[in-house]
Amino acid sequence: MAFMTVLLIALYLSVIVKENGNTCHLCHASFDFQIKEQKVVVDELSNLKKNRKVYKQQPNSNIFFLVDRTEMLSQCKNTLDELKKAHQEMENSEKTKIKK
Amino acid sequence: MEAPGGASPLTPALVGRLRQKHEQVVTSCQEKIQHWKKVESDYEALQERLRTLPDKLSYDVMVPFGPLAFMPGKLVHTNEVTVLLGDNWFSKCSAKQAVELVEHRKKHVRKALDDLQKVMKNFESRAEFTEELEKMSDAAGDFVDIREKIEDDSIGTKGRYRTAHKPHSKPKISNVFEVDFPVNGNDTKSVGHFQSEEELWARLEELERQEMLLGELDRMPDTVETNGEDAGFSEEQKEDKRTDLNGTYRAEDSVARGNFHKEVTNSDLFGGHLNGSTYYHSDDEDDTDIGDNSVPTIFFSHTVEPKRVRINTGKNTTLKFSEKKEEAKRKRKNSSGNGHATPELPNIKTPADIYRVFVDVVNGEYVPRKSILKSRSRENSVCSDTSEKSAAEFDDRQGVQRSISYDEATQSDNSEGVLEEEEGQQLLLEKLPSSSGTTKAFSGTVVEKEPLSPSLIPHPVVALRVMPTILEWKSEEVLSEASEEPPRRISKFKAARMQQPS
Repeated sequence: MAFMTVLLIALYLSVIVKENGNTCHLCHASFDFQIKEQKVVVDELSNLKKNRKVYKQQPNSNIFFLVDRTEMLSQCKNTLDELKKAHQEMENSEKTKIKK
Repeated sequence: MEAPGGASPLTPALVGRLRQKHEQVVTSCQEKIQHWKKVESDYEALQERLRTLPDKLSYDVMVPFGPLAFMPGKLVHTNEVTVLLGDNWFSKCSAKQAVELVEHRKKHVRKALDDLQKVMKNFESRAEFTEELEKMSDAAGDFVDIREKIEDDSIGTKGRYRTAHKPHSKPKISNVFEVDFPVNGNDTKSVGHFQSEEELWARLEELERQEMLLGELDRMPDTVETNGEDAGFSEEQKEDKRTDLNGTYRAEDSVARGNFHKEVTNSDLFGGHLNGSTYYHSDDEDDTDIGDNSVPTIFFSHTVEPKRVRINTGKNTTLKFSEKKEEAKRKRKNSSGNGHATPELPNIKTPADIYRVFVDVVNGEYVPRKSILKSRSRENSVCSDTSEKSAAEFDDRQGVQRSISYDEATQSDNSEGVLEEEEGQQLLLEKLPSSSGTTKAFSGTVVEKEPLSPSLIPHPVVALRVMPTILEWKSEEVLSEASEEPPRRISKFKAARMQQPS
């Protein structure tokens, strides 16, 4: 069960990250939340035993596809980096606006 | 928008509510946009999945077993997809076709999103506007609503005068006559209401008799003398009046006719005088010489008639100026008329009148040459300026006036004239009183024939050349004419005399 929960969280977060990357409409707080989630996902995936299976949920449906663990870990790390970048950019832009 | 008919002003409460509504629309639009974006993202994910699905023959999946349970399973037939068309109808298609279908739906979703964006922007701008409106409608705001209520009364009082004029230009005459009747007789105020001509005639004749009794007979000789001249311009006046009257008001027209006929009859009574009208007017003035304001106004309007018509049809702006001119004109006429009928009173209303009389005397007695020299250049221009009547009038008038004006001049000089005149004239005056102080009427004739010696002439000429001319032209153009014309008439032998010294 524990493995299942981890998997589900990971999938949910991935969905959110993708959505965020496409639209860039999430606000500052949601960015923080997503980054936190992504960190958790990365942490969980990195701590998994090698023989564990990881499933990723198809967004907007209830079906889960089996994915490679390492692949998923690298993907999650990438999304985390992207999120952090976006978050930083947002902060910079806000600072410049304040200066102006 | 919010205030229908514009009757109710913008209250802050209403504006605030409007703004609230706008903001509500904006927020609902935002929610819808959020929803549609989610749908779009779902479709994108699906599209992605469908693209990669045919890559493998089979997938290991967890199949949902109710809401809470999963079962391990295998996804086979990866290139076969059943698509929900709607209303629980499904069609079987390949993954690629499914991708196209998804693309088609995504288009629709994008369109909906664009529309929503537009609506949101529109309502955002509206919300901003209402916000500004709220500030404006606020009592403490910088903007104030300025409103002026137009009252019909004010327009009536001010505008009536002009509007009544413009189109017809005759209503003014009606006023003139209304004023005229009370002057002729106090009882005649009701004349305007008389409908039948007979009544009017009877009334007018009665009034005529009254006037005759009141003392017109005393002025008979004057009128007799003046009739010749007055006939000229009075007839003209008559014509003007008649034409004007015929144009507009019946009642007044009838009244006017009655008046004129009556005047004619009146003249008959006097014995062969053509016109009673001028005599009539002059009589009025004599009776109400100083204190009566109504009399001058009446005269003013009469004389003004033709000019006013012209002015009204042309420009309103020139009205004032023209009135001034006409007033001057009127004064001149009055002076001419009065000069014959009753020499003293009406003439001496203003210093200008005094001066005129004085100058006449001087010209007649002493120095016709001086006035002639001045007049010939200016007289013509004046005559052309004022009117055609004046030229004809003056010739006749001066002949009569000479005889009368001598008396006037002497009297006026003694009474009030000297102080008001200027220095150059005083020289002349000093010469006059010596002879005129004792016998006034006589002095004029005597002096006229007597001197004109070279010693006497130069002084007045020098003095009067400069000063009086200025005075004359400034005060009244007419006066100068009056003063200047007599010498021509008076002295043909004098003129010869004058030409010699000059």
